Amino acid sequence: MKPVNIKISEASLAQQSGRSSIDASPYLRLDKVAKRYGSFEAVTDFDLEVPRGDLVALLGPSGCGKTTTLRMIAGLITPSSGTIRVADTDVTNLPPHRRDMGLVFQSYALFPHMSVARNVAFGLDVRSVPDQEKRRQVAAALDLVQLGKLADRRPRELSGGQQQRVALARALVIQPSILLLDEPLSNLDAKLRDEMRTQIRDIQQELRITTVFVTHDQVEALSMCDSIVVMNGGHIEQIGTPYQIYEQPASPFVASFVGRTNRIPGRRTDSNRLDFAAGAIRTATDVAETNVEAMVRPHRISVSWTNKGSGPLLPGDRNSLQAKLQRVTFVGDMIQFHFDANGVALVAEQSSIQAHDIREPGTEATLSWAVSDTRMFGRAE
Amino acid sequence: MEGHQLSWPLRALVFVLMLFLLAPALLVFPISFSGDRLLSFPPSSWSFRWYQSLWQNELIISSFLTSLSLALVVTLLSLAIAIPAVYAIIRLKTPGSEFLYNLFTAPLLLPTIVLGLAILIIFATIGLLGTFHGIVLAHLVVTLPYALRVLAVALGNVNLACEEAAASLGAGPLTVVRRVTLPMMMPGIIAATALCFLVSFDELVITLFLTGPKLTTLPVELFRYVETSADPMVACVSVLLFFFTLAIIMIIDRAMGLTQTFVR
Amino acid sequence: MSAAAIPDKPATSGLGGQTGLALLLPIVLVNVIGFIIPMLNLARMSFNEYVPGGGIREAFILGNWIKAIADPFNLQLIANSITLSLGVTLATLIVSYPIALYIHWSSGRWRSLLIFLVIAPLLTSAVVRTYGWIALLSNDGPIIRSIKALGVENPPRLLFNTTGVMIGLTEILMPYMILALLAGFGRLDPRFEEAARSLGATPAQTFRRIILPLTLPGIALGWLLCFVLAISSFVTPKLMGGGRVFLLATEIYDQAIVTLNWPVAATLSILVLILFGISLAVYTRLLKRLD
Repeated sequence: MKPVNIKISEASLAQQSGRSSIDASPYLRLDKVAKRYGSFEAVTDFDLEVPRGDLVALLGPSGCGKTTTLRMIAGLITPSSGTIRVADTDVTNLPPHRRDMGLVFQSYALFPHMSVARNVAFGLDVRSVPDQEKRRQVAAALDLVQLGKLADRRPRELSGGQQQRVALARALVIQPSILLLDEPLSNLDAKLRDEMRTQIRDIQQELRITTVFVTHDQVEALSMCDSIVVMNGGHIEQIGTPYQIYEQPASPFVASFVGRTNRIPGRRTDSNRLDFAAGAIRTATDVAETNVEAMVRPHRISVSWTNKGSGPLLPGDRNSLQAKLQRVTFVGDMIQFHFDANGVALVAEQSSIQAHDIREPGTEATLSWAVSDTRMFGRAE
Repeated sequence: MEGHQLSWPLRALVFVLMLFLLAPALLVFPISFSGDRLLSFPPSSWSFRWYQSLWQNELIISSFLTSLSLALVVTLLSLAIAIPAVYAIIRLKTPGSEFLYNLFTAPLLLPTIVLGLAILIIFATIGLLGTFHGIVLAHLVVTLPYALRVLAVALGNVNLACEEAAASLGAGPLTVVRRVTLPMMMPGIIAATALCFLVSFDELVITLFLTGPKLTTLPVELFRYVETSADPMVACVSVLLFFFTLAIIMIIDRAMGLTQTFVR
Repeated sequence: MSAAAIPDKPATSGLGGQTGLALLLPIVLVNVIGFIIPMLNLARMSFNEYVPGGGIREAFILGNWIKAIADPFNLQLIANSITLSLGVTLATLIVSYPIALYIHWSSGRWRSLLIFLVIAPLLTSAVVRTYGWIALLSNDGPIIRSIKALGVENPPRLLFNTTGVMIGLTEILMPYMILALLAGFGRLDPRFEEAARSLGATPAQTFRRIILPLTLPGIALGWLLCFVLAISSFVTPKLMGGGRVFLLATEIYDQAIVTLNWPVAATLSILVLILFGISLAVYTRLLKRLD
């Protein structure tokens, strides 16, 4: 990574130092925010507190309400109920041009009739910043995203990645209190996405700017953010750090939406115990229902090809099952083993370095994993 | 398309028919150089006399200037009226505006003879007959539908996200319109300008009902001239008008070509 | 954007709903004063009474309407207008169809050139084209002279009569008919013709049984368009009729401007609109049956 020009961040620090440095209260706060279109509830009961300087992801499938929520924060949509506060100021009814937020769109929305430099300068023009200062800030912003040489080009002459960086510079140059990104990387190819992810995260941390980031890509959310809000059908499924979301999913939806997961349906026969066709499983969490399923991440499962005469339950803190190998999938840095345990499909993942013993489909094996990696959820059936 | 009977009989037939289609319009070019005193084709002699007579024809010149100023005023007013209207219909989605949009493109469907008569009767009652602003109003009724349609498409093509981006950067609603919406509509605005200008400049039937002794337009005078006399002067005016129209269309095309390199 | 992004009020809605009405006010005003009120007044005027000598008396009489339908002169007028328009439309169809077919079968730059040539006459006014016809069809004009040169002793008069008007109108309407036909030719896939030919049909049979039926919607559209244009046409009949051709449009003008009998002119105008409406109704029903 090239060293980042930190002139802008000094200015923004100076701007923000007026506020208390020990800021316990959340910088961005949504209270019971909801949006209804007629009888359709796009967003319900949305509560969120974002500390200053954090990067928060709104993660979920299409139609879950994440973009609607972002647009409510930006002021492009008025909430049906609830309040939005920025640094203790109620902004719920402020129009977008009075909210001091930087917005980056999925389609970049660069002004086609202006050059890159004029695009970036737009926010400064509107604030009547004097010419020389404006030129300085525009140049600094373009340097920040490494596009200084393209200042006089038109948007249509730029590649997707370049346009996106211009959009970012344009949003950042006005030193907004909050940065909002609506799936900014969706239109880029995989490799560019990786690069931009790092760049955006680096800039965000450099400037310590509170950021909300909408995405449907869980890898993005997991790798970039301080915390993740998983959304589904208009409501929040779980809020947590990437680790919490991944290792301690609060619901089946989160478990299966974020990362790959094995689901074992069965009956709850005792507290923390599920029975099914291929045996019994102990779980780390418990529920009240009788129809349940257990979930465990594929990379937590170890595969033993030697046939131990297996009892249904190993003592100690591990679960184990007999299963038959169906097929092997090679995914670059990782190998997936697809098993069948009495009708239940299970996938075990190992990194290509680990997996040195690959068998033919049809081989019997013993799968085992820690009880602490197993979560139980109620099953609706 | 392969294997089609672009056979010679068909080709010959189409050639003759195209000649039929184009003959009268093409004819005015040679006739304008006729040296005869009366309209005839082919002319028995050639000369510039009829072009020369144009400069002395005060009526033609003054009616041309009237048409010109009329068209300019009508065009400017059309834009000033239609742009806010499409904004209300397409961006603000004011209730009832879609109905109004359909209603106000309706004048295009009516025959001008009926519209002309209807306007004549009303104008006579309110004293707008034979007045410049009366004719402006009448022309607006027929130019606005064109302006409305072209501008509606242009505004519809403006990416809403750009306007939202501008707002998020601190631009108030009027600033967004001024600095983002209108510039991005520019090709449509230019096309609407050309259309309104030509429609007003060439308008005949409605204007025929509304002219007075002191106020007349070029199409009306040409009509009256053909009605009463038969000489080649009309051909000269036609040729000049043809190049005038062509020039306007070319200017528009250049202007739009230029904007299209800047706006996508 | 996510699928649930149902468009809300746009960003600039800070202007408020009142603004929308204010923005629409000018165009509403223009159309109310210049279109709606005049048209309503026109309908009203058809019930007024005309006082010979140029006066209008406010009344509510049906005299004009009765005259319109019962008076022999008016009946002749209406019949003339309808038959002439039908004749012109038919003639326009016949001369336009080959051109439209040829263009449809062409491609590339040649096709664009042809379409340009078809549209170009629309850029010149009807007055200019009519003027050209006057030059062509007059007794000393090239057409009559050629006919005489072929040995015909008493060539028919082609100008300042119904024949002249029909010739002129046909040419003027050709671009509209060609464009309408082209639009309707969309359904004409060359594969149908190939199929027919491979089954042994001659070109004439292919035309009659494949091409013609498939192009009927285009023909219907062109017919409607040209008929309503013909029945309301004013410039060409007035200039080429020599005062001897009486059609609805010319009569409306004469009654309004010369006689100043506005009630009758208004009645005839409404009649034109009624004929419009009937044509449109016939067209829509025809279209349904064609499908």
